[in-house]
Amino acid sequence: MSNDAATTAMPQQVDSPQPEPPAHGLGVSLPAADTRAKSEGTFPYASDLWAEGLLWAALLRSPHPHARIVSVDTSAAREMPGVHAVITHEDVPGDGSYGRRIADRPVFAAETVRHHGEAIAAVAADHPDTARLAAAAIAVEYEVLEPVTDPEKAFAAEPLHPDGNLIRHIPLRYGDADATGEVIVEGLYRIGRQDPAPIGAEAGLAVPRPDGGVELYVASTDPHTDRDLAAACFGLEPERVKVVVTGVPGATGDREDPGFQLPLGLLALRTGCPVKLTATREESFLGHAHRHPTLLRYRHHADAEGHLVKVEAQLLLDAGAYADASSESLAAAVAFACGPYVVPHAHIEGWAVRTNNPPSGHVRGEGAMQVCAAYEAQMDKLAAKLGLDQTEIRLRNVLATGDILPTGQTVTCPAPVAELLQAVRDFPLPPLPKDSPEHDWLLPGGPEGAGEPGAVRRGVGYALGMVHMLGAEGTDEVSTATVRVQDGVATVICAAVETGSGFSTLARQIVQETLGVEDVRVAAVDTDQPPAGPAAHGRHTWVSGGAVERAAKMVRTQLLQPLAHKFGMSTELLQITDGKITSYDGVLSTTVTEAMDGKELWATAQCRPHPTEPLDESGQGDAFVGLAFCAIRAVVDVDIELGSVRVVEMAVAQDVGRILNPAQLATRIEAGVTQGVGAALTENLRTARGLIRHPDLTGYALPTALDAPDIRIVKLVEERDVVAPFGAKPASAAPVVTSPAAVASAVRAATGRPINRLPIRPQAAVAVPKP
Amino acid sequence: MPPSRTLSSVRPEDVPELPRPACEHVRYGNTGGTAGTPGRGSWVTTHAPQTAQSVTLPASLDEAVAALSAMPAAVPVAGGTDLMAAVNRGQLRPAGLVGLGRISEIRGWRYQDGHALLGAGLTHARMGRPDFAALIPALAASARAAGPPQIRNAGTLGGNIVSAAPTNDTLPVLAALEADLVVAGPDGARREIPVSHLLAGREMLGPAELIGFVRVPLLHAPQVFLKVTGRTGPGRATASVAVVLDPARRGVRCAVGAIAPMPLRPLEAERWIASLIDWDGERGLAGEALTAFGEYVAAACIPDPAPAADGEEQAVHSPAVLHMRRTVAALARRALGRALS
Repeated sequence: MSNDAATTAMPQQVDSPQPEPPAHGLGVSLPAADTRAKSEGTFPYASDLWAEGLLWAALLRSPHPHARIVSVDTSAAREMPGVHAVITHEDVPGDGSYGRRIADRPVFAAETVRHHGEAIAAVAADHPDTARLAAAAIAVEYEVLEPVTDPEKAFAAEPLHPDGNLIRHIPLRYGDADATGEVIVEGLYRIGRQDPAPIGAEAGLAVPRPDGGVELYVASTDPHTDRDLAAACFGLEPERVKVVVTGVPGATGDREDPGFQLPLGLLALRTGCPVKLTATREESFLGHAHRHPTLLRYRHHADAEGHLVKVEAQLLLDAGAYADASSESLAAAVAFACGPYVVPHAHIEGWAVRTNNPPSGHVRGEGAMQVCAAYEAQMDKLAAKLGLDQTEIRLRNVLATGDILPTGQTVTCPAPVAELLQAVRDFPLPPLPKDSPEHDWLLPGGPEGAGEPGAVRRGVGYALGMVHMLGAEGTDEVSTATVRVQDGVATVICAAVETGSGFSTLARQIVQETLGVEDVRVAAVDTDQPPAGPAAHGRHTWVSGGAVERAAKMVRTQLLQPLAHKFGMSTELLQITDGKITSYDGVLSTTVTEAMDGKELWATAQCRPHPTEPLDESGQGDAFVGLAFCAIRAVVDVDIELGSVRVVEMAVAQDVGRILNPAQLATRIEAGVTQGVGAALTENLRTARGLIRHPDLTGYALPTALDAPDIRIVKLVEERDVVAPFGAKPASAAPVVTSPAAVASAVRAATGRPINRLPIRPQAAVAVPKP
Repeated sequence: MPPSRTLSSVRPEDVPELPRPACEHVRYGNTGGTAGTPGRGSWVTTHAPQTAQSVTLPASLDEAVAALSAMPAAVPVAGGTDLMAAVNRGQLRPAGLVGLGRISEIRGWRYQDGHALLGAGLTHARMGRPDFAALIPALAASARAAGPPQIRNAGTLGGNIVSAAPTNDTLPVLAALEADLVVAGPDGARREIPVSHLLAGREMLGPAELIGFVRVPLLHAPQVFLKVTGRTGPGRATASVAVVLDPARRGVRCAVGAIAPMPLRPLEAERWIASLIDWDGERGLAGEALTAFGEYVAAACIPDPAPAADGEEQAVHSPAVLHMRRTVAALARRALGRALS
């Protein structure tokens, strides 16, 4: 197959004239069903929930990152008028500890608090302010302990937790440990703490059931796991706890820390009343998991032609106080520590350690993003040392299908890395604004900023990134979906949460494509449905999408079988288009509605991708189901006196397998690039001695419309992954992973400074102007 | 009343006829969950903590002062961009509010003896407009840079002064302009205090006193305000500089904001550069002089550490402080360069 046949160039302008697009099915830009409600502000989120006679909850959180709890006196809070219940660790009927992966985290701190903002008690009252005042009236006596905030000191520090301070260590050894190259470059890199900063803060409602159970209405992204955690905590059978998923206001990681849901349910069970909790922005920053701050030390060996010989790396992930998803993040970081390059020898040591810093967990692209920034910085250093072009050094080493990763896994999926890099390299550079009037220039610092054209330097940088898709290391990836058709309306029932990733739109498209039914609806998610797994690593596009397709095909067979039997031909010879069933020869023609004949058709199917295995003691193993790649060229303007940076343009080429919804794909890539630009320039949740310093959106600077660059999707390589349903690869995480490295590379080119820390601080981007 | 929809019919793609549990008592609706605005009649039956029970909306400055005198615990509110954020965070529970939004006399400006008497209720959005920019260009520039449009539409000049956060953008401009505040007190009393005295805490507002006006000289000369933030979009200043020229008095006045609790005035640097400027002629200032001015300002605002005593190690500034110093120098150089160009 030629390259041209396998790729689609995206149109430059979205509004360019297109031939009449088909209205439905795969490959069209079907708009999401909730677009209108969301843009008009009528889409209901968890914070809009209401129940008659509800009580309001508030949590008491630790003001210290590390302390021993001497005593907790709740009597003053209990006596306040309007307070219905005050609960602490003594009031947890079931397991006092929880964790989505390892149950090492107390619902309420009992003896020790291990991070700033850890929950100690919860209050239910008849007014939100009363609840907050009552929480503040709980008297806690602390014996403040010295916090461990430097992950390098965690190894030798007193254990912060009975499980010890080392959460996981992976020593990856691949090839010859003694191999050396003629050219060696070294670097030390630091990646800051990015926060998922969901636009809607955590909120939920717990409603007690007459049978002694409880229903949790929350914006969970993994309802069945949350249900199981809740049941264990409440001491109830899982059937008596139900999680109902509400509108999700932004989720780029594990949404809804169970630390919110569990106190909510406990209070509802205790009071017998519905209980609602809406987190403030500050609580949201304190409660949910952040991206792992990471320290990376690298040594790359190459031969004189620039071919990589060996990569040595040490990666240290700061997991915060509890394990959460750190083990998976570390596996991704270690496995992708060399990037999408062929490396004959590798020696990677990775550690995830416990500290008293804010908790880290799953944020999309975790592990892979931190190492991408480091290995791409190393490639820039190698290029400079060898006098090679930034793209040339990369092209000499890129991975392709059939190559072997340092984990020993053979890359069996499409890996068109070289093609992606060439596409962004050959795309025309954005023009300098020198011909337009000066007041139209958007200089670093913004329209009212201090930017001065004479001090601005332009830089161009490149990065290649890779991510894994679906869970890794033997996670059982399975999803179940049901498709029902009646009266010309198809319904998809699948517990895959629509987080904004577009799953419900995709599900509608799949059913339209398979059954020719235009009106497809997607049911709301709750845990009465079979599990579909967490909304992470693009698994719903693949696993849940695959389950929906299988179920739809089973319905299709049920629909066509009687017809086929009647006409003595197999169902494969019949096709459904636009609600009409026609035979291969055009002799038979009928409509879907007629064929249905008032019947109701149901089918349920599962999708379970091929299994993976954990990394062994030397970091080897087929740990990943699939990989996705991305190449980005960043163009930045830097005011080299002030160190302010503006990203002018990001040119993206991505390996997507197959385009299922072009408009949605473009928005996912744009969103990912923007999140990556935030990680590169502004997003860092700062702490001082373990205390979060500015837990608000003024202190934590998300990219605004002025910060978001022009994003050019240069090329989307459609090389179908044969093991994936539809051959499609999830698209959101790869640009998040690659963008920060590309921006750093461009700032490096503009300033000549090393740029070894993300986000890039202004003082790191200051350069001496060249005469 | 919020729309009483059941959960099962909420999302457009939801299917109402699907088997769903009986939870008709749960629904979505605007519950008004934020502090002080409990929704749906629950106001009466709940134990709401004492929140603002009295809201006064006076029509004149003297009425506002009288309302504050009558209820000393009440808090005056204009744009509310800081105050209401504190209320929503639960940090402030004012017993009463005196709204200043209807006092039309403080929402515009008038001229008086070569000065502009700016109403304290002028919004940033109003000050950012071209007619205002023609009068006091630096104040207009600082108002335009002060935040996103929502904040600029609400936030006022007086509020910016009394909240006195170091990053408030109008403060260095007012300091450079040597503005005076006209303070209204009980029984029609009026007194004037320099803005720097209030910001430094040398003179404070008394009980039931309000800033009514800000007296700013009309200099009819170039003025520049520049600030540096962490991003391209609106953000808090990490450093800002205001430079105003006063050709009548042959003076240059400069103030540096955001790097200290109040704006800093490098008086020696001002006098030195004013002596170099050819006020009557066309001769511009050499680039080296601009650079030296920048360094002078930066060194005045962020001085070198004191020399070490015998046997002690010489203290040095951290890289972050050195960067701040370079930033201030670049801003001051650029601001003066633009003012003189």
